[in-house]
Amino acid sequence: MAPPPVVTGISPKEGLPGTRVTIRGENLGNRPQDLIGLTICGCDCLLSAEWKSPNKIIARSGPGKTRGDIIVSTASGGKGSSTVQFRGYHETIGPLKESAVWIEEAPLQALAWGRRSLSPTSYQMEDPLGLSVEGNEKKFPEDELHALFPDGSGDLASDQFEPGWFLLEHHHATSFDDLRVGLSYLRRKVEGQKEGQLSFLKANVGSVMEQLDTLFLLKEKFEADINIYGVDRTVKMEKSIAESMLEANKLFEGVLKRRERADATRNALGVLQRFRFLFTLPVAIERNIKRGEYDAVINAYARALNLFGKTDVVNKIFMNGLKIWMAWHACSIILRQIHGSHVPKNFLDGTATNLVNLDAGGDPAWSAIQVHAKYLTQQLNSCFNTHMAADTSVEEGKTPKGSHSKHTRTPSGNQILDSQSTVPQRVLCVEELTEIMSSRFPDLWKLGQAYFSGELQIPVGPNQQQEFKSIVLNVIGLGCSLLRGVLLPHTLETKSAWPANSSLDVLPAWLPHCLRYVRSSYSSLISLDLPGEALDIVGKLLFDLQLSCMGTLLVQAGDQLSSLHTKENWQLHFDSRFGGITSLPTLFEEIITEAITLIKETVLQSGIRETALLENESAKKEFNNKLHNTLLNFVQALEKLVSNNDMGDHSPAISQLIGSPAHFRDHSQSSGLAWEQRLLCTLSNCLYTEKEVLPRLLELLNRHNYPPLPKTFQAVTNALNMLEKDIIETFIEQKSDPLVGTIEPSMYLGRFDWDTQLSPTDLRPYAKEIIYNIVAVHAEVYRICPDQIYYILSHIVETIAEELSRLMSCVKSTKFSTQGNQQARIDITALQETFSAFTTSTAESFFSEALEVIPPLKNADTKVVDEVLKTFQSKMLLRVACLKTVKKPLNSL
Amino acid sequence: MSKKPSGGVQPALHKVIMVGSGGVGKSALTLQFMYDEFVEDYEPTKADSYRKKVVLDGEEVQIDILDTAGQEDYAAIRDNYFRSGEGFLCVFSITEEESFQATQEFREQILRVKNDEQIPFVLVGNKGDLDEKRKVPLADAQSRAHHWQVPYVETSAKTRDNVDKVFFDLMREIRSRKMEENKMSNGRGKDKSKRKKLRCALL
Ligand SMILES: Nc1nc2c(ncn2[C@@H]2O[C@H](COP(=O)(O)OP(=O)(O)O)[C@@H](O)[C@H]2O)c(=O)[nH]1
Ligand SMILES: [Mg+2]
Repeated sequence: MAPPPVVTGISPKEGLPGTRVTIRGENLGNRPQDLIGLTICGCDCLLSAEWKSPNKIIARSGPGKTRGDIIVSTASGGKGSSTVQFRGYHETIGPLKESAVWIEEAPLQALAWGRRSLSPTSYQMEDPLGLSVEGNEKKFPEDELHALFPDGSGDLASDQFEPGWFLLEHHHATSFDDLRVGLSYLRRKVEGQKEGQLSFLKANVGSVMEQLDTLFLLKEKFEADINIYGVDRTVKMEKSIAESMLEANKLFEGVLKRRERADATRNALGVLQRFRFLFTLPVAIERNIKRGEYDAVINAYARALNLFGKTDVVNKIFMNGLKIWMAWHACSIILRQIHGSHVPKNFLDGTATNLVNLDAGGDPAWSAIQVHAKYLTQQLNSCFNTHMAADTSVEEGKTPKGSHSKHTRTPSGNQILDSQSTVPQRVLCVEELTEIMSSRFPDLWKLGQAYFSGELQIPVGPNQQQEFKSIVLNVIGLGCSLLRGVLLPHTLETKSAWPANSSLDVLPAWLPHCLRYVRSSYSSLISLDLPGEALDIVGKLLFDLQLSCMGTLLVQAGDQLSSLHTKENWQLHFDSRFGGITSLPTLFEEIITEAITLIKETVLQSGIRETALLENESAKKEFNNKLHNTLLNFVQALEKLVSNNDMGDHSPAISQLIGSPAHFRDHSQSSGLAWEQRLLCTLSNCLYTEKEVLPRLLELLNRHNYPPLPKTFQAVTNALNMLEKDIIETFIEQKSDPLVGTIEPSMYLGRFDWDTQLSPTDLRPYAKEIIYNIVAVHAEVYRICPDQIYYILSHIVETIAEELSRLMSCVKSTKFSTQGNQQARIDITALQETFSAFTTSTAESFFSEALEVIPPLKNADTKVVDEVLKTFQSKMLLRVACLKTVKKPLNSL
Repeated sequence: MSKKPSGGVQPALHKVIMVGSGGVGKSALTLQFMYDEFVEDYEPTKADSYRKKVVLDGEEVQIDILDTAGQEDYAAIRDNYFRSGEGFLCVFSITEEESFQATQEFREQILRVKNDEQIPFVLVGNKGDLDEKRKVPLADAQSRAHHWQVPYVETSAKTRDNVDKVFFDLMREIRSRKMEENKMSNGRGKDKSKRKKLRCALL
């Protein structure tokens, strides 16, 4: 805070009211606005003050007529002090004094100013003491005279004449001797009057004689004049007098007119002065209303009423006007509020109370409630209609923008980055509706509370409690049904629903977002302590919305899942346990996890006064069904991947002459994996999903406190199992059919027959081909689906064994030469041994059958067989090593 | 017109009166001394009052300056003002011969009103910065001061030359006069009460 102002100089130091004074000092404010107060001799002179510098202010003195301080107050330094003083005095204006205004010549006026009478006679009266007052310039201070003689007067003609006053006023500088002379003079005069006429004549005999002479002379002159001018001597004079009077009147006409005008102006000024407060009242009230100081308005009004209210009719009319004006003003505030700008509840309170205090008539608080309710209804409806209109116009306008580019603001994403225009109108509408409900509805409710609790000091009407309740229910009901119309048009049978259009299609994505809004609005309503009936309306809406939201989220997830097969890119990731899997199971898990978490977060997060959704049986069932379908969607997607050989490629011929594993590589470069490999991948994905993903999801559900759903998961597992079986069957079929089909042609390749005379040295090529093919399949399966290797190979080996036994039984036993016999035994035994790890009992019996068809061999001839087999084994040891070690199936079917 | 009784804490108050013809720079000197400002335009004074605290030889005192009108119109009220003065700065302008002549009348009026030959008094030749327009020779002024037995100082309200000096010199003068008076305070006290009685008797 700056130091307080100090006034150290005043120029001039005394003067009449309105004297222009220069005030000097220190810290008189740092700018014009800083100067907030100025009093001279106790009179407020701020109005005339002109701030010049921190050292200088120019002002006009007020009507004070004493000596007093000059006090400057500044905002920065507070109230100041003064080392110098100003003296105000009043100058008496008499007929001889120049003056800017007309002076009432009636003595009354002079007395009104508390002055001695200034009528010309008394002013010019000779001094009774016979002393000259010339040169007696120094006046005795008048205030001291007043102090000395409170009721006295110096006027010789006055009843309250005080000799002391007179002496001090006129002779305080006269010497004592002079006064004594004056006294004897006075005495002489008084005595002279007492002695009577005779002595008077005696004393003045000389002058009496002189007067007689003069009169005589005058008579002579007069008579002589008659002779010269005739009897009517004064005619000419009278005429001139009349003329001059006329002339004088003419001269004064203008002056008198001016005087009349001045009088009128003065009267008007007087009236203005008297009613100034009243005239400034409207402005003051307006200003206060703008500032929100309604108490001040009421006070001013009350004061005006006190001052003028009961006095006369004119004022009453004026006050009525004011009252009406005030009421109008209050209404206009409410009206203004209806036109958009929101006015806080306490303001409404205030206005209502004020209207009551102003006797505006009626029941303003109740009207305020009604108006506010109407306002809310209007707001809600117009919000709904505006957004719907905007939406349908966009729809009709057929904006070229695709629906995807339209919604850059993601439902859960942040709203800062994305432009408002991309949010669907429905969502905007919901945001706005809930906003109205949660921020403006409370005002209505609180206003009602205040009204009924008597806070507003207004008598409450008899049926209003009931009526208010219905108002509240109506407003809430409207809000909810509008929200339904936007979000859940199917739950409304009435026309008020938002017509279904493309914006409804994108709505699901925004449902959680909307749900959040509705929920927060709900909780703010709950905090108001509304009647249960009203809350239930919202609660029901919320429940339906939750249900719909949950369903939508699940359906959405399901949709994503069923199109998941298009996302398959066949990029293999190798898992130590499950071999090769693609990204599909992970995607599946992600989608479901997201849906579940989102549902948990948005839908199931139950607040106060909300029943947990899944405690409701039908909701639970719904959830179960939807989840079931959703999960099955994934199984179906997987199924789609393997159901048709969409690549149109047939399995590569497993002939050694054409086929080679390199074939696959070429193929995978153009469009991923070969179909059989896709089968394997999908199988692997199935297994992974079943064994890994599903338990994880189950665990997730548990963690989020979802009710246990064993049946659903069992069903999904079953579906997966079935799919797995199908895939394996298909795969085996796909692999074994060509493989088995090539055995016969290969066996008899090069016109070979069993009556051959060539002694066997090795396995026949067809047998080797079988081995190679099996090794190839093994490699293929092992790479992607190691767990299923036994199952698959054993099935294939079975079919091979069956084919061999068929082929052998077709050869007539007589046809075998010894060499052919040896060769056949070598081939079959070698195969049997090579595949021993994958030989089931059925396969074993087929092998045995095949061997039994061949006629028995002499002991000497078996030696060759054994030798060839031995060399084969040693030669093929590394080749077939993979077939020897069977990984024990971890997850066999 | 009664003064507030000055409390014990209030520093000593020295009342200085500026006298001299109109336009010689009385107000200019006062404002320069009080507020360090020089007023270029001429605005006739009626009677201005200034008062502030200053440090006089290490002692805090209050100086009260009454800036009066030089004009003849107001000559009548001068007597009243002069009565309250404890010291006088009698100012003339060195560029105006008449103002120098007028100092004679002022001196006489002061002596008449105060009835005290020793009244603290400084003859001030202002507008010293306008030496080229000088009309009053330095010697004339000095000889007059010598004759009156008062100091003569040339000042400039414009350049602030000697402004502080004239006020402080005068205050010192006033202070030492007061100290002398205090020594014979008994006499003065009696005098005062006697005068008061006289007035009462008259009533
Ligand atoms: N050059 C100059 N002008 C001065 C000086 N003192 C006063 N003035 C000017 O003389 C005029 C009258 O000064 P003012 O103080 O009002 O005279 P006052 O009537 O004695 O109070 C003003 O225009 C001042 O600017 C000075 O020392 N030098
Ligand atoms: Mg002046």
